[in-house]
Amino acid sequence: MNLISGIDLSAGALAAQKTRLDIVAQNIANAQTTRTAKGGPYQRQVVSFETEMVRTQGATGGGLQGIRVAQVTTDRSPGQQVYNPQHPDASADGLVTMPNVNLSQEMVDLITASRTYEANLSVVKNARQMAMRTLEIGK
Amino acid sequence: MVDPVFQSDNYVLARKLLDAAVLRQDAIAANVANAETPGYRRVDIAPNFLEQLKASVSDGNLPATAAALRPQIAADPNARTIRPDGNSVEIEHELLAMNRNAVEHEYLTEVITQNIKQLKMAITGRSV
Repeated sequence: MNLISGIDLSAGALAAQKTRLDIVAQNIANAQTTRTAKGGPYQRQVVSFETEMVRTQGATGGGLQGIRVAQVTTDRSPGQQVYNPQHPDASADGLVTMPNVNLSQEMVDLITASRTYEANLSVVKNARQMAMRTLEIGK
Repeated sequence: MVDPVFQSDNYVLARKLLDAAVLRQDAIAANVANAETPGYRRVDIAPNFLEQLKASVSDGNLPATAAALRPQIAADPNARTIRPDGNSVEIEHELLAMNRNAVEHEYLTEVITQNIKQLKMAITGRSV
């Protein structure tokens, strides 16, 4: 039983969107990284979510599902190959394999994650306001 | 002696609806959290709760039956758009429902407060 209703559900969603935002920021920062510690260009990472049953409801079986980060996976699709023999990481043919980061896709993810974060935040604000009003019953 | 005030239809109804309003906030939080989950169906208070309340009020035995009535969370049967991935949450709809729920909650706490204040006034003889 929460003091502020729905806080455990919103907390999971906020944490999940924060992780997504972090990964998008990492992808954008490494959009031009042609050499990583493991060798080879940077491969973009993708966050996947899964639902978890946060609260069950006794006999009826219904309940409330929250969301959480399932795993952070690496996108293995090959990046673009650019002809640039001057580049220090060029192969024998003069081709440089760029990271498979598509900036417009990352920006869309960024905006979606931000808006979802804001929506969940407004739910928390509203729930807190309701809790504060409840404490004023009788006054 | 104090019980009749807290057994009046209005007060009992306000308490039940307040329980439902708080539970609805939980349901909205779950819906907003799962706004992008594929296959997720939005949840809300089960409609039979309101129907049972209405039936109890018109039968006139609300105080007796009130204890057994509890709001439950159930999948919303008339959720409108269903996106290609099976998700039936519209975020605008959720935020509007949340605002409406906040106003309902405000109103119901006001009703309960006024009932309590009436009792205080009867006891002290002074309006609080």
